[in-house]
Amino acid sequence: MDGWFWAMLAVVQETVRHDAGQVLLALLVPIILGGAVWPAWLPGFVRRVDALNDWVGRMVAWVCVAMVLTTLTVVVMRYVFNFGRVYIQESYVWMHAIVFMVGAGYTLLHNGHVRVDVFYRPASPRYKAWVDLLGVLFLLIPVLLILAEVAMPYIWDSWERLEVSREAGGLPGLFLLKSVIMVFCLLVLLQGLSLAARSYLILCGHRPFLADAQAGEQG
Amino acid sequence: MSDVLLGEILSLLMFATACVVLLFGFPVAFSLAGTAVLFAGLGMAFDIFQFSLFGALASRYFGIMVNEVLVAVPLFVFMGVMLERSKVAEELLQTMGLMFGKLRGGLGLSVVFVGMLLAASTGIVGATVVTMGLLSLPAMLKTGYDPKLATGVICASGTLGQIIPPSIVLVLLGDILQGAYTQAQLAQGNFAPRPVSVVDLFAGAFLPGLCLVVLYMGWVVFLAATRPAAAPALRMDPDEMRSLAYRIIVVMVPPVLLIVAVLGSILGGIATPTESAAVGAVGAAILAATRGQLSLPVLRVVSRATLQISSMVFVILLGASVFSLVFRGLGGEALVHDVLSNMPGGTFGAVVVVMALMFVMGFFLDFIEIVFVVVPIVGPVLLMMDLDPVWLGVMIAINLQTSFLTPPFGFALFYLRGVAPPSVQTMDIYKGIIPFVVIQLLMLAILAAVPQLATWLPGFV
Repeated sequence: MDGWFWAMLAVVQETVRHDAGQVLLALLVPIILGGAVWPAWLPGFVRRVDALNDWVGRMVAWVCVAMVLTTLTVVVMRYVFNFGRVYIQESYVWMHAIVFMVGAGYTLLHNGHVRVDVFYRPASPRYKAWVDLLGVLFLLIPVLLILAEVAMPYIWDSWERLEVSREAGGLPGLFLLKSVIMVFCLLVLLQGLSLAARSYLILCGHRPFLADAQAGEQG
Repeated sequence: MSDVLLGEILSLLMFATACVVLLFGFPVAFSLAGTAVLFAGLGMAFDIFQFSLFGALASRYFGIMVNEVLVAVPLFVFMGVMLERSKVAEELLQTMGLMFGKLRGGLGLSVVFVGMLLAASTGIVGATVVTMGLLSLPAMLKTGYDPKLATGVICASGTLGQIIPPSIVLVLLGDILQGAYTQAQLAQGNFAPRPVSVVDLFAGAFLPGLCLVVLYMGWVVFLAATRPAAAPALRMDPDEMRSLAYRIIVVMVPPVLLIVAVLGSILGGIATPTESAAVGAVGAAILAATRGQLSLPVLRVVSRATLQISSMVFVILLGASVFSLVFRGLGGEALVHDVLSNMPGGTFGAVVVVMALMFVMGFFLDFIEIVFVVVPIVGPVLLMMDLDPVWLGVMIAINLQTSFLTPPFGFALFYLRGVAPPSVQTMDIYKGIIPFVVIQLLMLAILAAVPQLATWLPGFV
């Protein structure tokens, strides 16, 4: 019995490690089909995902302030006290990575990822909903699945070695920083699904989201 | 059909498809990467693309995450947004207007000057043009400026910040050029190339940027002298005049000192761009605090804006790396290499073709996207022709800036149209920008003829 359990676990582990993208795809297909066929749970899903990414983004934004102050500290230490520590220098670089990776879902939520808006901006809410729905399904999702697929073995190796910074006197826990790539994939994937669900509801004529879209147009 | 030919056809098709997909308006980062993934799938179906090529993506992207130089980008953004949100920029423009307002064309001159100073905050074409348009266009129109001159000078000065250091696009361009240059040198058998740094590009762009400022100002002065009605002097309130000296000291001197200190410490080789940017960011916050503008809500707004802008920039970098990876995997790079190497007119012809391509792309794409997509592909080929990387970078920057100004597609013109009052005709905006586009082209020609303008200063830093 035990042997059987461990053998299954090993298979799951190997699958997640080498085929993370395909695992995610297997999870996504029922979600997407389920949403299309039975959209009643979509509004709640959209609100929860939006709330999650909004919260994450608001927290991570403060890391910007910490990054500014840390960098200044390094400068003051170096130029005034002639004193430097590699781990402090690394910490602001890491903060920067965390800011733009973990904040990417928040940026998508607030439409901060720049678009070529020659045609998009003046277009109707329906056109925008179509572009966003198809864009998420055929552009955003495939990209993130591939990134997850290739990033997972890379991150996994790092965890196995509990990799530390290559610099002498650098920060431990490099494997944690590498894992941020996966956090990026998941948060942006969720936000993408939320955007697709929102667009789908707008196309179905769901009133609250349609009103949102029209209000956004005037604002 | 041979595999090589098929791959080259696919890579060209991919480029064309990406252009079309982008126009639909889905976020650029995912449009680029998504199209590339689609074509990678096609390539795999024809057995000319290996999925294993994607394997390099994770470590390459992690390299971007731990790149110390790139930390300068959010720090400069933080500084710029802070100067803008705490109304430092607005007051700067007003005071400058008062100072030069008595002169004919004075308002125009101050717009050019502020555009130059705001360089740090401009990574996105729209932002500065919109800010300057909102701040100065109503004042200029009220004073009786010719709408053509007013809109022209605002668009041109609003994009000026892109090529004057410490603009964030120069940081990004410098980083990409560095990679391209190293690659070109390795291909030629030089295994210890002299590195090209962001500082070199800052130094290289400095003199050409100042030349543009002088040329813009010259045009405003020329118009004010020959057609006084087009650029009248401001009617001054005696009260305002009395407080002017005080305002100059309080409002103008601190931000100018801050920017000079940041730029000076970089060009003087005292501090790295990242270090100077951190000092600039804190300096901007202190400036805001001295005028009672630094509060928790302001800090919140500034840090959220910084988060969004840097996330936007680096996710595009991710999208563009997927794009160039697939383009290379399909053999597109070899094609570009062949075409550019066999261009009639040799090196000159190759540069002209690349510049023309970027110019057209500039109608649809922002600076960052073009730099991330095109430079990694054409950069190594061009740099193998013994071009100076700094010179090439400055040419690219001025070229793209020109593209953003050229009617009828120029980005800057659209953004200004969006904030200009209806009394200003779109045709006025188009006509007003033409002299500035001519100035830009003149500058490109001067730089092509006298490369020392860009390469002289980096030799000293």
